[in-house]
Parts: sequence; C-alpha cells; structure tokens
Amino acid sequence: MADQLKIGYLGLNDAAPIIMAKELDLYAKYELDVHLVRQNSWSTLRDRLHMGDIHAAHMLAPMPLASSLGLGCESTDIFTPMVLSLNGNAITLSTAVVEEIKQSNQLKEIVYPLDASLLKAVVEQRHKRKKQKLRLAHVFPFSCHHYQLLDWLKRGGVNQEDIEFHVLPPHDMHFNLNDQIIDGYCVGGPWNAQAVREGTGITVATSCDIWGDAAEKVLGISYATYESRPEVFQRLINALLESCYWLDSPAHRFDASVVLSSPTYLNAPLDVVCPSLMGICLTERGSPSRDLPNYNIFGNKDNKLNIPNVADAHTFSTYMYSQHYIAALPSEQYLSQIYRSDLISKFALDWD
Amino acid sequence: MTDKLTTPKRNTLMQQEGGTTKITILLVDENQQRVLALQNALDKSRYHIVHSSAPRLGLVKLVDELQPDLVIIDVESPSRDILSSLSTVSRFNPKPVVMFSENQDTKTIDSSVRAGVTAYVAGHTDTNKIRPILDAAVASFSQTQALREELNSTKQALEKQDVITKAKLQLMQQRRITEPEAYAMLRKMAMDSNQSIENLAKSLVVFWAQQSQDDADG
Repeated sequence: MADQLKIGYLGLNDAAPIIMAKELDLYAKYELDVHLVRQNSWSTLRDRLHMGDIHAAHMLAPMPLASSLGLGCESTDIFTPMVLSLNGNAITLSTAVVEEIKQSNQLKEIVYPLDASLLKAVVEQRHKRKKQKLRLAHVFPFSCHHYQLLDWLKRGGVNQEDIEFHVLPPHDMHFNLNDQIIDGYCVGGPWNAQAVREGTGITVATSCDIWGDAAEKVLGISYATYESRPEVFQRLINALLESCYWLDSPAHRFDASVVLSSPTYLNAPLDVVCPSLMGICLTERGSPSRDLPNYNIFGNKDNKLNIPNVADAHTFSTYMYSQHYIAALPSEQYLSQIYRSDLISKFALDWD
Repeated sequence: MTDKLTTPKRNTLMQQEGGTTKITILLVDENQQRVLALQNALDKSRYHIVHSSAPRLGLVKLVDELQPDLVIIDVESPSRDILSSLSTVSRFNPKPVVMFSENQDTKTIDSSVRAGVTAYVAGHTDTNKIRPILDAAVASFSQTQALREELNSTKQALEKQDVITKAKLQLMQQRRITEPEAYAMLRKMAMDSNQSIENLAKSLVVFWAQQSQDDADG
C-alpha cells in the first residue's frame, strides 16, 4: 500500500513542482499517496508543519532557519533536503507611484529594471511635503522578498527608515494596491502579472535583477517527522526532483500553467499565471514585456540547483542579524544541519 | 525561579479599569454567527471585545491603537501573516493568539498548543467552554511570557559576551596582539564611534563574515 503524506503549499506559481508531481502521477510512481493542502498564510503552514499536521511544506527559503531559531514561533527542528525553485519574485509599484517617479526625475519614459535611485526623489519630495511615506509590502518577515526589497532600496540609496513596510498575504497584494492601501510590493508569481493585467501596477524589477539566481522555495520537513520514516521522504524527494526536471522543459511550462490556473490550485486567469512560467516578465499594460528565461527556475540534473546550499543559509542569517532578530551569527555546522546538501541521492542526479 | 513565575516582572495582560481588571480582546473573524456566539458567551464585565472583519492592513493600525491583551483569529484567515509579523516587531508586545479550527481532533489542538499557539477553539463553538479556554490562555501566556523574558535576558547576556569574544579573537589573529590589547582596541573604537562595545563587536563580526563570503564568492 502506498505511504500517505500531507503536503502544504501556498497558491503561487512556484508551487508547480508539488502540484505537477500530483498531476503527473509522480507520487504514485514512487508509491506515495499524497494529499495536497492549500494554505492561506505562511504562519498557518508553518504551525501545521511544526505540529506534524502536514508532513512536508512548500516553504520560503529562510523559513527553516527562522523555525529552528524560533523567530516568531516556538523553536522547532525544521530542515530542508531540497530546493524547489529559484527566483520568481518581482517588485510591482502602483501606476500612480511610477507617474510620481517620472515627474520627480523629469523623465518621459522608464527603463526596466528600474533603478531604485529614481525612487529616492519621490521619497525626498514626500518627506519635504510631509506626505505619507511610501508603503511597500512583502509576504513574511523571514522571506527573500523582504531581503530583496531591502537590497533594492539600499542599492538605490533609499533609506529604510523612509519606507513603511507591511506584511500581506501574496494573493491579497493586488487588491491592496488597487485600493491604494499600499504603493507597491514584492511578491512571487502570478501576483505581479495580475496587477499589470488589471492596469493598476507596473512591475519595475525582478528578483533576478536584484540577486541573480537564488533559491526561493524549499521543501520543509520537521526532523521529528522525517526520522520516523526517512525512506518515505527519500521517495518524496525523488518524485519532486522528477517534477522539477519535467518543468525544466519550456514545452511543459504551458501545460503546467493550465493546471495551476484551475480553481483547484491557484484559481487565477491563465494569462496571469502563464507569463512568468514561460520566462516573460510583464512590465506595464500596453508596453513590451521583458524576456527573462530565468524568471522561474526549477532545476535540472546537470545544474544541481536543487541541492540546498549552506551559503544561502549564511546569507539569510546575516539579514536576520542586521535586523536584530538574532544577536549572533549561527555557526556553519548549525546551518548545515538545516540546509542539508547530502540527502538528494546520487541516483536521482544521474537520471536519464 | 518559582517566585518569578507567580509574579512576572512586567505583566502586559491586565489593565485596570474602574477598579476591575478588564481584558481587551480583538476578534478577527468573518463568520458573523461565530462572532455573535462569542460575544454572547463572554462576560462583558471581564472582557472588552472589539470585532474586526476582513481588516487587511487596518489590522496593524487596530492592534497598534487597541493594544489588545488577546487576539482571537480564524486559523484559516489569510490575515494571520499580518498578525504574526506584528509579534516580531519590537514595538508590539507579543500577544497570545487563540485560534478557531474546523479540525475537532483534540490531538491536533494539543500539539498546536505545544507548538506555541496559545489555545485552539474547535469549530463548533460551545459557548460555555469558551470562557475557561480564554482564561487559561491568558494565564498560560503570562506565565510563558515571564519565563521567556527571563530566558531572553540570560541569552542576551551570553550572546553579548560571545560576540565580544569573537571580535577580540579575530583582532588578536589579524593584528597579532594580546587579548588586553585587543580589548583596549575594541573599547577605543567603540568610544570613538560613540557606540557600545557590544554593538561595535557585532558590526565587526558581521563585516568580517561578509568579507570572507565576498572572498569566497569572488
């Protein structure tokens, strides 16, 4: 009989490996009976994973570290054996703010990716006129989105203190932008394309522009759950790797978009889900889009990008440290127990 | 230790109001029926209940203004992340969060309580059972909070020592100087830059870590 597993995910394009493994019967192929549970918030997904209510989860890459350190939760031994995706986030600003950028910098047109230094004039003018600070949202205190937003602003010389930061659920971002509750956000697909299609937002920069290629979502598992049946999780890793490798082919990306956009999963229009998965970044309604082949990467057996890298963990800890969530940097040995590079079997990497 | 348990240094939970202790509860729920049931179940002389539905960002403002002692939220609500981000921002005191769950499984409820959620209220709210759950949530929260504060201050003291030691060792290696010399150097740098030795040591350690990573990358 197939082993039963419950996997939690959020409705995002980069849940594709988890969703497609189900649709392609890859779980069944590895004798797993997987039940997918869509979650509305990262906090509840995390709590369910901590308490063993779900056995594995689609997690923001910094989350296993935050869980282990007990940041915003009780400290729980969560680790990742596998990277599920790289990149995929972008910064979208309201059309009104982009108009403000043009006026403040006396520009007729904006070149993408937008350099945040152009935002500086807006921030300064708002400050001078005692107007509302720019309100930018991300998805979780411990997320690449948050760190990418900070890096983008810093590179443009914009002071963190001059921005009001908020946390919002990914699928709520475009509503909040539309209602002018926020001026912009950093989120994963398809919620950037959604605002562009609606004509309320303009996607000014992607995570690829800010960080290059970087791990974005990982498979999170608690040690307590894993150790009770490691062999079952080995099969889960193999099924998910096969799904990632399948997604590497551009021809399969459209099929995946059709599946993801359905009410069962993301419940979003196909023309919103599709672009980022096909390597296209919509910028502004009526303007040319950007070709970004690396917009979503799921990995293949040659590039070995699915193997967690302790250097990423170190980077996340540096952000947690500089934001005063932790008082000292964790050791390399501690981090390597959370971002495990030794669990993707050689066998899986040698597939034909 | 036991003394501290019963008399926490800073009890954020109770507010004196007209001689009686009232607990302010923020109820975040879109299910009107459940809201009504809860409001009727709760003793109004003891609890001050504020209800908010579909609050989006308004939730931040509301928590800021209201400073509730307890937050009750549906576990499936997308607004949970907004709320959880509040407890990691230092200007907000952590709040005990009670959650609704359609999941009636007591095992799940038990383990979630251990996982840090203060209390769960199962799907069909039996109004008579709610009061003791809330009372217990408040009591256990103030206890854990007192313990946590103590643990944090101990941890911070240890970490402070740790980071200074790290910075000292690195300086000793880099400049081939003795420990007292390294400490004197740290102290002088801290004084010159008008910050505490701990903060200076912290930024040095981060700087070196970044540098060695850049070297590795580059």
